[in-house]
Amino acid sequence: MKPIAILTTLLTTAWLAGCADESPTSEAAGFAGLGEAAGDFAQARPGTSLRFPQDHAAHPDYRIEWWYLTANLEDERSEPLGLQWTLFRQAMTPPDERPEPTPWAADQLWMAHMAVSQGDTHRVAERFARSHSASEEGQAGTVAEPFRAWIDHWQLASHVETSGEASKTDTFAELSLSAHQDDEHGGFGYDLTLTAEGPLVLHGEAGFSQKAADGQGSFYYSQPFWRIEGEVTLDGETRMVSGRGWLDREWSSQLLDERQQGWDWFSLHLESGHKLMAFQLRGGGEDGGDYRSGTWVTPEGEPTALAPDAIGMTLLDTRRVSGREIPTRWRLEVPGAGFDLIVEAPHAERWMDTSVPYWEGEVVARDADSGEDKGIGYLEMTGY
Amino acid sequence: MLTALVTLLSHYKRHPGQLAMLLLGLWVAGALWSGVQAINASARDSYARAEALFSTGLDRLERRDGEPLTREDYLRLRRAGLPVSPLLEGTLEASDGTELRVIGVDPFTLPGDSAFAAASSQGELTDFLTPPWQTRIAPDTLPALGVNAREAPGAEPRLATGRLPPLVLSPMLPPGTLVMDIAAAAVLLDSGERLSRLVTAPKALEHPPEGLVLTRATTLVSPGQLTESFHLNLTAMALLALVVGLFIVQAALGLALEQRLGMLRTLRALGVSGRGLVGLLALELVLLGVIGALAGIASGVWLARVLLPDVAATLGSLYGADVAVMLNLPWHYWLGGLGVTLGGLLLAGSGVLWRAARLSVLGLGQAQAWRAGFLRQLRGMALTGGAVAAGGLGLWVWLTHQPTGEGLLAGFGLIAALLLTSALLLPPLLALALAGLGRLMRRRPLAQWALADLKLQLPRLALAMMALLIALSANLGVSSMVGGFRLTFLEWLDQRLVADYYLRPAPEQFDAVQAWLAERPEVAELLPTRHAEATLLEVEGTGGARTPHLPVGLYGITPGESLIPSWPLLATQAGRDAAWQSFAAGEAFVNEQLAIDQGLAPSDRLTLSAPGGQETLVVAAVYPDYGNTRGEVLLATPKLAERFAATPSSIGIVLTVGADEVGLRDALRQRFELGSDALVDQREVKRVSVEIFERTFTITRALSVLTLAVAALALLASLLAQARERRRQLAPLWALGVPRARLVAIQLAQLGGMALAVGALAVPLGSVLALGLVAVINVAAFGWRLPLHVFPGDIALTLATAGAVALLAAALPAARLWRTPPRALLAEEAP
Repeated sequence: MKPIAILTTLLTTAWLAGCADESPTSEAAGFAGLGEAAGDFAQARPGTSLRFPQDHAAHPDYRIEWWYLTANLEDERSEPLGLQWTLFRQAMTPPDERPEPTPWAADQLWMAHMAVSQGDTHRVAERFARSHSASEEGQAGTVAEPFRAWIDHWQLASHVETSGEASKTDTFAELSLSAHQDDEHGGFGYDLTLTAEGPLVLHGEAGFSQKAADGQGSFYYSQPFWRIEGEVTLDGETRMVSGRGWLDREWSSQLLDERQQGWDWFSLHLESGHKLMAFQLRGGGEDGGDYRSGTWVTPEGEPTALAPDAIGMTLLDTRRVSGREIPTRWRLEVPGAGFDLIVEAPHAERWMDTSVPYWEGEVVARDADSGEDKGIGYLEMTGY
Repeated sequence: MLTALVTLLSHYKRHPGQLAMLLLGLWVAGALWSGVQAINASARDSYARAEALFSTGLDRLERRDGEPLTREDYLRLRRAGLPVSPLLEGTLEASDGTELRVIGVDPFTLPGDSAFAAASSQGELTDFLTPPWQTRIAPDTLPALGVNAREAPGAEPRLATGRLPPLVLSPMLPPGTLVMDIAAAAVLLDSGERLSRLVTAPKALEHPPEGLVLTRATTLVSPGQLTESFHLNLTAMALLALVVGLFIVQAALGLALEQRLGMLRTLRALGVSGRGLVGLLALELVLLGVIGALAGIASGVWLARVLLPDVAATLGSLYGADVAVMLNLPWHYWLGGLGVTLGGLLLAGSGVLWRAARLSVLGLGQAQAWRAGFLRQLRGMALTGGAVAAGGLGLWVWLTHQPTGEGLLAGFGLIAALLLTSALLLPPLLALALAGLGRLMRRRPLAQWALADLKLQLPRLALAMMALLIALSANLGVSSMVGGFRLTFLEWLDQRLVADYYLRPAPEQFDAVQAWLAERPEVAELLPTRHAEATLLEVEGTGGARTPHLPVGLYGITPGESLIPSWPLLATQAGRDAAWQSFAAGEAFVNEQLAIDQGLAPSDRLTLSAPGGQETLVVAAVYPDYGNTRGEVLLATPKLAERFAATPSSIGIVLTVGADEVGLRDALRQRFELGSDALVDQREVKRVSVEIFERTFTITRALSVLTLAVAALALLASLLAQARERRRQLAPLWALGVPRARLVAIQLAQLGGMALAVGALAVPLGSVLALGLVAVINVAAFGWRLPLHVFPGDIALTLATAGAVALLAAALPAARLWRTPPRALLAEEAP
C-alpha cells in the first residue's frame, strides 16, 4: 500500500464513520463545502469599501479566498493556447480559535491549480500547503505591497521596483507569473509577464457581489485587462506566447447558499474591447430557481452591474467528458447591451481532475444570428 | 445407517487408547502447524502495517554533516520546487515504560495522491491539522497507554512530556506507533524548528540537493522481505511437525481398521453396502478430524501466544522489524488451519478408506494374508521412493545451474525430497536387512525367531520408524546448522570487534574527539569509521560488464595493526597481505552478500555514484559479513572520506595493555559532552549480539525438539496398540520354555536395535540435510554461506535419543508382559 493511501484511509475511515453518526446537515453543503455556514468568521457585507493594495493580499478572517488567473494566448504559429493559475486559501479555524504560532502550527490551508491547454492536450497540476496567519513567510502566502502570492515555487509577483517611490507606483499593475510542473509527458509550465492595460473592476455593489436571492455574497473584483507575453512549456516543448488574461479576486465566508450545488461562470474578452463577466448559480434564486449576475465593462473599465433578469443563459449542447455530461455550448444574452451570443468550447476535454474537480476551459463567442466571431474567454463550470 | 455409525464408533469405546492416540496425533500436528502459522500471520500483519507507513517506500534526505534539518531548509527546498515533505520522528515513553514511536507528518506534501482526493468533507482533515489535533493509533498499542479500546476514541492519555492529542483508532498502523500532524508532534517532542528528515516520492529527485544525502527507498529493505526467509524456516519446521503428526494418525487409523475388520465384514453381511461403509468411515474421519483440528488450533494459538514475544524480540533485534506481541489473526487463518489439518487427515486416512473399499467379505484377517499385502506395499514404497529421489536429483541439477543465492523454495523442495526419499526407502531397506540377518542367524533359533518376528511387526512399525527417521535427521541437521552458525558467528564477532571501546560522537565533535584521543597515552590505536550511500552503477569483471543500478552501503575502516591480522577475508586475488596493501592504497573489499548477488570476484571493477561524479574501484577481496542484509563496499576510512564525502560514524578505541580504562572514560566524558549511549564497551556489543543470535534460534530448536517428541509418541503409540497381539505371539515361546525375563529382553533388543539402525541412518541423512541448509537455504535466505561443521556430540545424542525413544516406547509393553501371570499368556493362545 502506498504511504499516502494509508493516510487517506486514516483520514477517511473515521470521516465516514463520523458522517454516519451526525445529522445529514454535516455533509458538505453547496459545491466543495462552499455553502457551509460561516460561523464565527468575518462576513462579506454590502457597504464595505475595498482598499488597495491591502485587499490584494489574503484576508485570513474570512473563510475562503482566491487569486484566479485565466489567459487566452496564441503561440508563434498563431495556435490558440489557454492557461490557468489559481491559488485558493481556506481558513481552518475562525479568527478567535487560531492555534498558537508554534512551529508547523497552521490555521490556513492553501491549494493551487495550474493548467495549460492546447488543442486536445490539457495538463493539470495541483499543490497544497499550510501556513499560520501570524507568520509572513510560509510554504504559501501573499504579500500586499509589493504584491506577491505563492505556493512552493509557483508564484505570481510584482516585478515593479519599489525602491524610493513605493507609495506612488501600483505594484499590482505589472506582474510576473511563474509555475512549472514535472510530469510523465515531459513537464509543463510558464514564465509570463502581465501588464494591466486598464483599471481594476469592482463587481456587484462596489465590490460586494451578491450570490443568492437571500443576500448571501462575497467581495469580488477583477483585473480583466491583462496583456500577457512570455514562454509556455507544454509536454517539454517551450514556445513564445502572447494574449489576454483575466484575474479574479474573491473572498467570503459563505460564498454559496447551502442549496446551491454549482455554477457556470463566463469571462469574455469581446472584440469591441468590452469585457463581460456573467455567472449563474444553480439553485438559490427566487423560488429556488437559478441565481444570475454579471458585470458589463466598457473598454475604459467602466462597470455596469447586471441584475439577475438582465442576463439570459440557455444550455444548448452537452458533451461527455470524463464520464459526465458537460455543457459545452451556451446561448448568452444581455439584451441591455445588445448582445446575443453563442458561447462554445472548441475543445471539451478541459476537465480539471483535481481534488475538487471542475471544468475550466477556453471558449469562443459568436453572434447568435450571423455566426460572426465576437470574442474569446474562459468558462468555469462546477458541480457537474 | 446411524446404527452402523454407532457400531463403528463403539470400537473406540472398547479401545479408548486408540481414540486417544488418534486425537493426540491430530492435536499435536494441528497445534504445531497452527501455532507457527499464527506467528507468521501475526508477523505478516505487522509488516504489512509497517510497510504502509510513510517511513518505508519513500526516498529520504538528511544532511551530509549529520546535523538536523530545519523548517527553514524545508521551505527553501519547497521554494526551489523540490517535492520534499517534512517528517518528524521521536520516541516517547509510555507510563508502563514502553517506547512509543511518534511520527509527525504534513499531509499536504506527503508524496502520493492528494490527501483530499478521497475526502467528502474537509472536517476530518481539519481535525487532524488543528488543535487539539489527533493521535492515530492502532488498537494493539492501547494497552501501553493504559487505555481500553472502548474508552479510547477521544481519550487524551497523559505521558511524562504532556497529554497526547485525542486518540483515533487506525488498525492499519504498525504497533507502537503514534501518527499525528507535524505541529502536534513538534509540541510533544519539543523539537522546535528541527526536523528528523525530509521524504520524497521514490525517484522524485535525481540528485540530492547541495549538502544533503539522499537514501533511496529501495535501500531500505522492507521488513517483510527481510524476514521472509525466517518465516519460511518456521513454516518448513511446522510442516515437518504436521507430517510427523499425521504419521501417528495413519498408524492409529490403520490399526483401528484392522481390528474392526471382523466388525466390517459383519456389517457388510448385514446389508450395509460397501460404498455406504466407506462413507461411514469417511464421516468418522471427518468427525474425529474436526475435534482434533479444533483442539489443535486452540492449542496452537496458545503456543503462538507463548512464543510470540520471543519471536517479536528476535525479529525486532535482528531486522529492526516491529512485530506486535499480541496475536492478530485474520479470518483466513482459522479456515486455513482447519483446512490443512483436515486435508492432512484425509490424506492419511485415504489408505484406510481404500482398503476398506476393497474389503473382501469372506477373507480372513490373518497375518500371512497381510504379509503378502505388505510385500506389495514395500515394492510400492521402493518405487515411489525412487521416483521422489529422481525428482530431488532433478531439482538439485536445476539448482546447480541457478546463480548462487537463488531458489529458496527449490532448496526447501530439495530437502523435502531428500527426507521423503529416505522415509519411503526405509521400510524396504529394513525388510531387506532383516531378511539378510535372519539368514545369518540360522544357527541361533531364538535370534532367528526374533528377526522373523520383527519382520512380521514391520508393517505396523514402519510408519513409526519413518517418522523417527525424519525427526532424528531433521533434528541433527538443524542442530548442526545452528551449532555451525553459532561457532562461525562468534568467531567472526571476535575478529570484527577488535577495539575495546566504540565511540559515537556527534558529527561536529568527531574531529575534536579524534584529535584528543590520539594524544592520550592509554590509546594504542584509533579506528575511525565512516559511512556513505552510493549506487552501484556498473560492474566489470570476468563475466563482462553489467549495469545493476543497485544501492549499496559504503563503509570505511582503518586498516592498521589491530584490524589487519584478525579481519576475516574469504577470497583475495594474491593473498591476504597483498589484499591489505591494495586496500590501504584505495582498492575496495566487498561483502559476501554483494559478491554472491552480483557475481563479484577479486580484481573485478565497480563503478559507483559519488558526490563528485563517478568513482571506479577495484575489488581486492571478499569478506564475510554475517548479520548484514545488504550489499556493502569497504574502503579505507581516509579514502572513503575523500572520494565519497562520507559522514563520520564511530571511532574504535584500542587500548594499550594495562591502560586505565575508567580514567580514560571519565576524562573523555568530562572533556566532551557525550550522550549516554555514545561510548559502548566492546564486551557489551558482543553480549547483545550473542543474545540476539541465541534468541533467533530458540524457536528453531524448540520446534525441532517438539518434532522429535512427536515421533517418539508415534512409536510409543504403535507399540502400545499392538501390545495385546504381541503377547499372543510370545505365549508359544514361553510355553516352549523361554523365561519371561528373556522374552522381555528380546523385545527390548528388537526395538532398540531397529531404532539404533534408524538412528544410524539418520546420521548421514542429517549431515546431508545440514549441508543443504548451510549451502543452499542459508545462501538463498541470508546471502552468505557457512562452513559445514560436524558435531560428534550431536551425532551421539541423536543415536542415544533413538535408542532411548525406542526403549522407552518398548518399556511399557515389556513391563506389562513382565507382570502378566503365565496363566494369562496361556489364555492368549485361544483367540
